[in-house]
Amino acid sequence: MSGQGLATNLLVLQGEVEQIAALRYTPAGIPLLSFSVRHTSEQIEANMQRKVECDVSVIAMSDLALRSQDIKPGVNIRVTGFLARRSLKSTQLVLHINALEII
Amino acid sequence: MTLTILKIALDVPLDCLFDYLDGGFTVTIGGRVVVPFGRRKLVGIVVDRIDSSEIATDKLKAILHAFTDEPALDHESFALLRFCADYYQYPYGQALLAALPTRLRQIEPVVLRKQFAYSLTPSGLLAGLEAIPARQAVKRRLFSALLENIDVDEAALAALSSTWRKAIQAMQEAGWINAKQVLAPPRIQAQVPSVKPDLNPDQAQALHAILAQVDVFKPWLLHGITGSGKTEVYMRLILSALTNNESQVLVLVPEINLTPQLIARFRSRLPDFQLALLHSNLGHSERLLNWRLAQSGQARIVIGTRLAVFTPLPKLRLIIVDEEHDSSYKQQDGMRYHARDIALMRAKRRNIPIVLGSATPALETWNNATTHKYGLLTLNNRAVAKAMLPNIRCINTALGQTYEGLSSTLLEALRDRLARGEQSLLFINRRGYAPVLLCSACHWMAPCPRCSSRLVVHLRQRQLRCHHCGHEEKIPQQCPSCGNADLHPTGHGTQRLEQTLAALLPQARILRVDRDSTRRKHALSDMLTDIYAGKVDILIGTQMLAKGHDFPNLTLVGVIDTDSALFSPDFRTSEHLFAQLMQVAGRAGRADKAGEVLIQTAHPDHALFNALRTQDYVAYSDELLHERKICQFPPFAYLALLRAEANDFNQVQRFLQQAADSARLITQNVMVYDPTRPHMQRLKNMERGQLLMQANSRQSLQILLRNLVPELRGCNSAAKVRWSVDVDPLEF
Repeated sequence: MSGQGLATNLLVLQGEVEQIAALRYTPAGIPLLSFSVRHTSEQIEANMQRKVECDVSVIAMSDLALRSQDIKPGVNIRVTGFLARRSLKSTQLVLHINALEII
Repeated sequence: MTLTILKIALDVPLDCLFDYLDGGFTVTIGGRVVVPFGRRKLVGIVVDRIDSSEIATDKLKAILHAFTDEPALDHESFALLRFCADYYQYPYGQALLAALPTRLRQIEPVVLRKQFAYSLTPSGLLAGLEAIPARQAVKRRLFSALLENIDVDEAALAALSSTWRKAIQAMQEAGWINAKQVLAPPRIQAQVPSVKPDLNPDQAQALHAILAQVDVFKPWLLHGITGSGKTEVYMRLILSALTNNESQVLVLVPEINLTPQLIARFRSRLPDFQLALLHSNLGHSERLLNWRLAQSGQARIVIGTRLAVFTPLPKLRLIIVDEEHDSSYKQQDGMRYHARDIALMRAKRRNIPIVLGSATPALETWNNATTHKYGLLTLNNRAVAKAMLPNIRCINTALGQTYEGLSSTLLEALRDRLARGEQSLLFINRRGYAPVLLCSACHWMAPCPRCSSRLVVHLRQRQLRCHHCGHEEKIPQQCPSCGNADLHPTGHGTQRLEQTLAALLPQARILRVDRDSTRRKHALSDMLTDIYAGKVDILIGTQMLAKGHDFPNLTLVGVIDTDSALFSPDFRTSEHLFAQLMQVAGRAGRADKAGEVLIQTAHPDHALFNALRTQDYVAYSDELLHERKICQFPPFAYLALLRAEANDFNQVQRFLQQAADSARLITQNVMVYDPTRPHMQRLKNMERGQLLMQANSRQSLQILLRNLVPELRGCNSAAKVRWSVDVDPLEF
């Protein structure tokens, strides 16, 4: 956890809340909420405009999980966090968030 | 004047007896004494009396005290323990003292609560009931009881009135009653004697065969399928043996607190005979009292766990070893004896019959039965006429989906029983919530800091526990290796299964029976009462529930996951797993309802399950014996294991290597392997190693050990390790 500790890994993403799983707890008792965000936007790529769509898995923990558990599907939010592999054997990415703001 | 010198056995790890002067006490051989030993005082047993010692007389110390009013240990006990000490390579003094109840190993004088029995005196008889005023109801009641019986004991009087003591005292002062001190435990209120069930032809044949040869040493294997009525055969044998007043019977059972039912059956079927229990859960005083009852010949039936095999029984006429295959008969520390084997030796020395009972005999026993060393008696039918053997099926978990470890087939079967108001048992031999705490991000698994094992998740207590050394710690907030907080309890234990079922079948009354839920005293017997009363629909249990219980309304047994045992390196695992699953399966459908057994496995075609489906112990055992013969494993070879442990493995390695070298010099007749590490390399912060010795005959192994062990006791490298010898080891 040292050495590359400060390497950049920051993602800010806006989108609609999709599926929300029931709040669960880690074995040590930390609340954990997972949901997915559907992002749709238009972006510039190589000076050309294009449409972007993606579904991103999101995990919120602790106080943020408790505060976020009442969000409803369809709500437009902006989340800030970092990306991590879902598990050692998976190539899927999950966005672990530190901030969630309802727009 | 010639001095009397006493040879005294002490509980010290030296293989010798110690010489003391008698100090003017009148000492009998077999009596207990207190002696000075270094700066300590120790309890010893007088083994012999001699005229001269190798030590100069003025160097000898005198004993400090002799317990002269106690019954002495008999010659037979000496001989038996001498044999055991020699066979298991254990110091004789330690073996002798370990066989005594704890109280007798303490230097404080033994005080047993005095008990009295009361009888009317001639003047009491002369005075008659009329002499007591009618308003003194208690006195009249007690007096009437004394008119009818002599030597009425305290328990019987207490049953008549709670204020009996005062009334009896008054009558005693009047000279109407005399009291006699007795050695008697409070008599358990005789239950309504139960009806004597008729024997089926198998049972009758077994009984007659054994009764035909009661005055000679004869080992019998009573091989009866689960529910075939072995216990009833025991009862008849005991009744027959006890018709002779000068007789005692020893019954060994695996774990007494797991078999309260068996004890209750003995009490209700044989209410006329004094019965003494001996096991490690008894209080010190109670155990001593029961031991004395046995020693005095007063207790006619002695039921106990492995430690009871050493009880002095002057009138012993019959030994019964129930569930003889059970591994709890093997002592795993101190003198590592096997109670069944000692019972056999004891029967041989006394020239009496011994009956080994089991549905799944140990392969050693089975081999002796098929080669006609033991008489083989088979009970092939369930004793309750309508009871059928359960139907056993495997559910292939490699094909179908499981939810939280439960297949849909098993879940349906549970729902079905619930709707019919019948009980189910789910067998899962893993307590706790999950056997592993896994970090999915980096695959760290919570290890025990003191053992080479994983910590088990106990979710409700938010704890990780080592089931080997008892280490406990809080579940970490995050993975200590990568920092991920989302740790996963992986695998299934009893607690997790309980939680899953409670969510899936909210209407079911679920009871978990494992070592954690039964820790409180009487917890297990309370639970069993609830099960019999039908207050439970689904039982989730470990091996605690597998043995001996008889639940008439139980019709489904589900086995969750035993596959890990299929691939264990221990050559005894298949034998043990088969026995265990047969036992568990035997819980289903014992009364008039048909039973079903569903086994979840990813390997339904394994030979073990094929044998289990047909419940063919004989075929499977013959197959296993054949394998053992090819591999030269027991019972076709004789093993001894030298175990050693120390903080530093180098010390262990050095000691074991030296032992191996010495052993190879002593004999060529024994195969001495190289030192290896056991499956649990580290236990309780100790690095472990072991040396296996294998011989084609018991005798050559014994000759090696007799020469090797004294050499090891004297060698320098032995002082730096903790070591022990295990003859006929069960675990590696």
